[in-house]
Amino acid sequence: MLSIGISKNNKAYDFRDKHSLNISNIMFEETYNTAALEICRKRMNLAIVLFGLIYLIISIRIFIVCLPHGIEISLPEDGLYEREILVKAPISRADIVDRNGIVIATSLPTVDLYANPKKIQDAKDAAEKLSLVFPEIKYEDLYTKLTKKSTFVMIKHDLSPAKQSEVNALGIPALEFQTSEKRVYLHDNLFAHVLGYTNIDNIGQAGIEKYMHKRLTESTKPLELTIDMGVQDTIRQELLAAVEKFSAAGAAAVLMDVNTGEVISMVSLPDYNPNISIPLGDKALFNFPTLGTYEPGSVFKTFNTALGLESGKVKVTDKFDATKPITIQRRKISDYRGENRWLTVGEVLIHSSNIGSVQLVSRVGRKDQRKFLENLGFFEPIKQLEIPEKGQPIFQSKNNWSDITMATVSYGHGISVTPMHVITAFSALMNGGIYRTPTLIKSDMPRPSKRVLSEHVSKMMRPLLRDVILYGSGKKAEVNGYEVAGKTGTAQKVVNGKYIEKCVTNSFLSVFPASNPRYALLVIIDEPKAIKETYGFNTSGWNAAPTAGKIISEIAPQLGLKANFDINTQRAHIKAMR
Amino acid sequence: MINTKTALTALWFTLTCFVIFGCFILKNQVHELETELKRINQNITADVRNIHVLKAEWGRLNTPERLRKLAAEHISLNKIRAEQIINYSALPFKNEPSSVALASSRAPTEYKRLIKTQR
Repeated sequence: MLSIGISKNNKAYDFRDKHSLNISNIMFEETYNTAALEICRKRMNLAIVLFGLIYLIISIRIFIVCLPHGIEISLPEDGLYEREILVKAPISRADIVDRNGIVIATSLPTVDLYANPKKIQDAKDAAEKLSLVFPEIKYEDLYTKLTKKSTFVMIKHDLSPAKQSEVNALGIPALEFQTSEKRVYLHDNLFAHVLGYTNIDNIGQAGIEKYMHKRLTESTKPLELTIDMGVQDTIRQELLAAVEKFSAAGAAAVLMDVNTGEVISMVSLPDYNPNISIPLGDKALFNFPTLGTYEPGSVFKTFNTALGLESGKVKVTDKFDATKPITIQRRKISDYRGENRWLTVGEVLIHSSNIGSVQLVSRVGRKDQRKFLENLGFFEPIKQLEIPEKGQPIFQSKNNWSDITMATVSYGHGISVTPMHVITAFSALMNGGIYRTPTLIKSDMPRPSKRVLSEHVSKMMRPLLRDVILYGSGKKAEVNGYEVAGKTGTAQKVVNGKYIEKCVTNSFLSVFPASNPRYALLVIIDEPKAIKETYGFNTSGWNAAPTAGKIISEIAPQLGLKANFDINTQRAHIKAMR
Repeated sequence: MINTKTALTALWFTLTCFVIFGCFILKNQVHELETELKRINQNITADVRNIHVLKAEWGRLNTPERLRKLAAEHISLNKIRAEQIINYSALPFKNEPSSVALASSRAPTEYKRLIKTQR
């Protein structure tokens, strides 16, 4: 309002109008005063705003200064690693722990020694001094490195603190350190094939280290495996003893929880120490349980029997004529130390009759046999297993799956699968008929599963396999109180397309306790020799079965399984102990 | 009027000085605290690293291979056998009632029959 008045007054006053000058004198003074006051007021307002701004800036600054900065506030996923908020984890590659949280692979902070040759004043002297500190490095090599036309040459990885202080004491300005870390496998050979190893740049080269490389480098939270260290050690010790006793070329074992598909233990012999670099191609690097395909032999009769019972074309009480060898497509199939009589389904397993198995599968037919085996996962590598070493099964194509293929496959020949295939399918047979993919990583996430066998057939199979232990080839695997059930398998090895006499791969496939299966164990002994104690035999019942028995007797208490004893038997034991 | 103005200006000026001084003190203290925090964090990092190394060493000392060797040297314990794990009910107690006495407590007629048969 006021400003409008002023502008009007200003406009009304004209300096060039001489006549109106006198008249407007008083008016001018008044107007002048008002204008000056207005300017002052404007300036005051401006000052107030400016001061306000300054105070605002000061308050904001005080607020910012009071805020804690330099610390990233991020809440951890599970609250377990609160220290990560304030402190950087000491290592960049996550630890690997067993199912009980025991560290089995970790990284240690170390330093690497490198040099800047351009800063070197006396390369000869430096090389001499360094070769005294590191006697394992040749003087010539050091000299060549130190005289290179470069600004960076690596002298040595992973120095111990003692060596680092020795190098510091040399006082050569061109030598520098960089922090690094070294992967350490605390149990040496024990988890060799499960864990694999990393190269000098900490990049996974085999096993879990390779398969889970991304996970291990993205988060420092330890990776939990399904393997149990104690059980793994027990099994490895027993296998080592068996290899020595039977002068075997190698051995392998897998222990699986039949209800979850978790691999509790996986051992392959010969093994290696992942802390020491091993030349590629060494036999010890071969992980037999997951990579090695072999003809499983008679253990396959377990699947054959389940197939017969599942098809409904075979009943447990049915009998098969095993009095004489049987010929299929001009190939004679006979039994090893045959019974030469009619055998029931159970007896076919007890005496491991090839003739009986062939007759059994003949009732079902090759089409259904192939479908059943395919459903059990025998025709493709186990993709979901968290290890890169996976074997591709070898088998006849659909068109070539003839009657002779059907016959030989019924007793585990003419098809090559990995031990992991065998034990996974066997677990499905025992747990009530649900196939679960095996796993090495502990997780609460539900995993895919499918029904491959009806529950009643699974229940029928258990006593049949228990009888093999009580009356058949697996007697030496019996462990008092743990109701072991299983099947032996002796398969001749093929070298250059020919089966070699007395050169065998023996398997023993078992489950315990038979009344309520919890764990499946597959023991394989490669090329065991006959010894005096086995009366010249080298079949599975004489080496793989007793080894499995020893393993079960030791690991069952470790796994918290209660032995199922009759109360009177227990009292008799106590009396005997007194 | 002038006096009031001057007083006000002086007040504002003094207040501003106080705020500036206060701000400086605060910043200084925060700076010191930050330095201390950094030092503590560095110590924690070093401790965490040392603990990590110690854990690895502890893990190494607890390998089954080594423990087995030590156990064989220093303690005379054998591996546990399945038969050694028994049910509580299988334990024979000193004053355990006999089957006859148990039967008598249950039913007199049954007891009489039992006595009869035993005779």
